[in-house]
Amino acid sequence: MKLCFNWIVQPMVNALLPYRHLYNILCDRLSQAWSNILAPAKSAVLILPLLLVCLVFAPTAPAYAQSASQSARLSPRQVVEYALTLEKLEADFYRRAIAAVQSGALTGVPDIAKAALVSYGEDEAQHVTDLSAVLRSLGGNPAAIVIPANPNYSAILNRDPFANPTDLLLAGQYVEDLGVAAYKGQVQNLLAAGEAGKTVLAGALEIHTVEARHAAGIRFLRQTLLNADVRPWIRNASSVIYNENRGTVAVSMESQGKQMIQSPSPIPFASEAFDGYATREEVLALVGPILTAAKPSMMAPSRSVTLSN
Amino acid sequence: MTFPGLSLGRSVPPSRRTLLKWGLLSLGTAMLTGVPKALMAQTMGRMKTLTFNANDIGILNFALLLEELEAAFYPAVLKSGKITNAKELDYLRALGSHEAAHVKFLRGVLGRNALFQTSDLSLNQPGLNALLTDRTKILNTAVTLEDLGVHAYNGAGPSLTNPTYILAAGSIVSVEARHAAGVRSLLGRPTTETDSERLVKTVDLVAKLNPFKGRAYDELYTPKQVISAVSSLKILNNPINGSLVA
Repeated sequence: MKLCFNWIVQPMVNALLPYRHLYNILCDRLSQAWSNILAPAKSAVLILPLLLVCLVFAPTAPAYAQSASQSARLSPRQVVEYALTLEKLEADFYRRAIAAVQSGALTGVPDIAKAALVSYGEDEAQHVTDLSAVLRSLGGNPAAIVIPANPNYSAILNRDPFANPTDLLLAGQYVEDLGVAAYKGQVQNLLAAGEAGKTVLAGALEIHTVEARHAAGIRFLRQTLLNADVRPWIRNASSVIYNENRGTVAVSMESQGKQMIQSPSPIPFASEAFDGYATREEVLALVGPILTAAKPSMMAPSRSVTLSN
Repeated sequence: MTFPGLSLGRSVPPSRRTLLKWGLLSLGTAMLTGVPKALMAQTMGRMKTLTFNANDIGILNFALLLEELEAAFYPAVLKSGKITNAKELDYLRALGSHEAAHVKFLRGVLGRNALFQTSDLSLNQPGLNALLTDRTKILNTAVTLEDLGVHAYNGAGPSLTNPTYILAAGSIVSVEARHAAGVRSLLGRPTTETDSERLVKTVDLVAKLNPFKGRAYDELYTPKQVISAVSSLKILNNPINGSLVA
């Protein structure tokens, strides 16, 4: 688990080194602001969420060119290792969901939802198998990509997602939508790798839209079975846990007089007809609490990180 | 199928007049076929040939054509009056507005490099009408179009060279996949696509383009395969050529 933790955190630290100055200023400023409002004892509890806020908002390069210019460009092998981590987590999530359904803890789940969970779980397991083979062909070791024996899935909603059907489907939606954004966030890295990245790019594209089908399927189930105000597509940025409307952020950051201004992308991410993406740093900041099994008091309320836009 | 007053079973020797009529008709057809292409184009009004080259501009125009067809389909669906369920209407309206947004975006990116205007497209009205006969036909056609769009974008993606274009394609294709899954759900069909549902069969998939195959993957179609699938839908009259689809 420690290895895993290092693997997750080290790239984040590396990626942030060039921005250390800005990062320190922002963190200091935010910390001071919070200290003024809250008792000093309380502010200690806020450090992790603040760190995550800094991580999410740290990029300074134009949004549409971020993968190419911002952080270190990931090699095809690094992308596969990163993708395999997410797929192992997703496959594990569905295994536990199906176990909870079968053991009776989630008896209220209708058959149509059970069928979807089983089917999506099989797809994720297939992704793990096939990405493992690709990683081996690139000289990597899929067995070295490990997730904790008991991932802290409570970090997704700040409560047990396997306790009732409503939370299970909401957590599933968050996980699948994040998966879509995560794959999309790597297409520029894979394109930049040229011929060496072609196979992984093709494979990533083949998976990317299946994750979108899963996300849409779960959204449909939530709308149909739970009467949730949601559609298979993303009408509202608050229905996902990553930064969906990147153009909107640029405007709001500017209006707050912050130094970190992102150029608006030519792609209208704020439109529901266009899905947003997430960088590896952003995804790992959100997934980190699940992978590191943090204590409840230190858990980042992963939604509130991005809800601010 | 039988029609009153028409006895198809009886074989009657054709009259001389009938023979003469058919003969003249064949002659006319032969003459029309022999007409030079330029004159033919003139006769048929603005039937523009769509030429897609194997480069980023060609790929974006190719994507534009698919979006135009989708953007034409959904308003026709709404106009048909065959969809009456409120939720289904809500979905189909949303899909139509998304496709229109994709068209607008692609035209904005292409600017003067757009090969055709919306008005240059000649829709095959009888062909389109045949897809709008009832609710099941309509929803299944929507699934076919959306699934095809997913395979088309996936297939074209690795051929793009501009990083912003591939991110834009990615931003659009996952929405097309959400559409496919949404309409599949309305029909009670699984959200993912099985091998037997695919318009391009497994043996015909290009091995080099597809490291993975099966239900857990949305395979890459070549533009040529996509155009062939579009032709099979019989909704577009315009001739299509160019190195991208050769």
